[in-house]
Amino acid sequence: MKLFLIFISAAIVNNFVLSYFLGICPFVGVSKKVSSAVSMGMAVTFVMTITAAVTWLIYHLILVPFNVVILEYVSFILVIASLVQLVEMFIRKISKPLYDTLGIYLPLITTNCAILGLALFAVLREYGFIESIVYGIGAGVGFTLALVIMAGIREELELANVPKHFQGAGITMIVAGSLALAFMGFAGLISI
Amino acid sequence: MAKKATLMREYAKGLWDENPVLISLLGLCPTLAVTNSAINGIAMGLATTFVVVSSSVIISSIRKVIPHQVRIASYIVVIATFVTVADRFLAAFTPEISKALGPYVPLIVVNCLILGRQEAFSSKNSPGRSFLDALGMGTGFLLVLFVLGAIRELLGSGSILNFTILGDWFMPWMVMILPPGAFLTLGLLIGLSNWINERRAEA
Amino acid sequence: MNTSAKMILVLTLITMISGGVLSSWDGYTAPKIEQYRLEQLRQAVGDVLPAHEDYEKVEADGMTFYVGKEGAATVGIAFLAIGNGFQGEIRMMVGMRPDFSEITGLSVLEQVETPGLGTKIVTDPSNKENPDWFTDQFKGLVPQPKIEALKNQAPQNDNEIQAITGATISSKAVVDILNSAIEQARKKYNSTKEQVS
Repeated sequence: MKLFLIFISAAIVNNFVLSYFLGICPFVGVSKKVSSAVSMGMAVTFVMTITAAVTWLIYHLILVPFNVVILEYVSFILVIASLVQLVEMFIRKISKPLYDTLGIYLPLITTNCAILGLALFAVLREYGFIESIVYGIGAGVGFTLALVIMAGIREELELANVPKHFQGAGITMIVAGSLALAFMGFAGLISI
Repeated sequence: MAKKATLMREYAKGLWDENPVLISLLGLCPTLAVTNSAINGIAMGLATTFVVVSSSVIISSIRKVIPHQVRIASYIVVIATFVTVADRFLAAFTPEISKALGPYVPLIVVNCLILGRQEAFSSKNSPGRSFLDALGMGTGFLLVLFVLGAIRELLGSGSILNFTILGDWFMPWMVMILPPGAFLTLGLLIGLSNWINERRAEA
Repeated sequence: MNTSAKMILVLTLITMISGGVLSSWDGYTAPKIEQYRLEQLRQAVGDVLPAHEDYEKVEADGMTFYVGKEGAATVGIAFLAIGNGFQGEIRMMVGMRPDFSEITGLSVLEQVETPGLGTKIVTDPSNKENPDWFTDQFKGLVPQPKIEALKNQAPQNDNEIQAITGATISSKAVVDILNSAIEQARKKYNSTKEQVS
């Protein structure tokens, strides 16, 4: 039950993009087409799940026992950067089609704050190993959800008559604001 | 004189013409997340300025010894080090602000603004110029965060920097200090800056 | 020197310098951060317990109690109550009489409720005379059989409080968290006392 709550909370109620503002850069950059939004979302979910597991192990098996929690940020970001590289090499080895879909998005993920944010939040909330992984999957699904909805709206926006000065980033922010308003309706779900 | 003018320019470009938030759309996560009050915006702006200035100076000083293949990893380590320093400083000396900013302080590590300046500027220029460039970018970032925070605080709580501006007659717009308010205000600010730039180009 | 050797050397050097800088910085700031944490704790315990000279920390079955002492006599017991609110976790410090018969004070330490509505569980700026009216209601409350939150009506019995208009879920969440935390605390604290005696 608790795992389910963590998942719903990360994916919907406290959506990473719309209520924590994490991963905004790809949100603005890659949300022009639904198909690329889906691929990016999958790549992020994949990396998030692995990151959640690995950073948990590093934090609880290395940083805490050796009393070097101060190195948390340095080690997390290095681990994420190398993980992304490994995942990229791994995917290229096992599946060509998968690499063609996800490959170009992987390098962008290193500086996606949603990934580091996930690792930091999981530590802050004192999640256990399994909980962290579920949290990672939930956050990834929530990211994908926001990205795909946004891309759907932006495809329609192409046809709309947007005031000149708001084209591009301006209207994206305003649409995101409306989406965030809609997602606020989910608040309170987790206490039921 | 010509040289001096360009140095000035190195600093000033970050304030408006190449403003990291409004023009380059970098560092949006903290911009949106912590600007529910003016003071949080200022604290975040200062912390980011500190990190980008220190990292730029260090990286441009050692730019010649860093092999090309590991440059990004080296930048990240340097940046993460300064972020940890800033984070612990806030926690030790201004605990209230540290609590309000929460995990968004460590997230300065992945602020694309900082990594972007290293890749685009510090890795190619002298420490002095990198210092000015980073200081300008930091100031530009700080200004936007302060303006955004002030607008949201004024409309959402009726005050600026905790001084009540709007009296009892004002019904605070709660939504402004909630996440949607952040997106809406930034969207309008970006539109406004596009409009101003166009007016300037015409003039 | 070949490139990969140089790569490794440079990265190792940078990381080592970074580690050195950070560990000395840690040595300087860690005591200050710890001191602030202790002060916050002392203040929270002081807020919720009746007047006491000092408090001592007692661990019981995985739960921490802060036992307020006046000389040798125990005047009250404080402990943390943590649970889910409207949008996320609420952490509170609760003070009670030593026999858990009555609440002596409540202080909300951390919450992420909706600004302007749910945050009234901490302070309510619309109530000018007493912004802390919500937590003040808990002072002297008797959690028997359990605390109840009433909607839109003034409390009649001494186990009832009035919920915040517009934030019923947050108010109910506070009450639910308290009810279960008090129940647990009573069991755990009493079980260790029996073992000692």
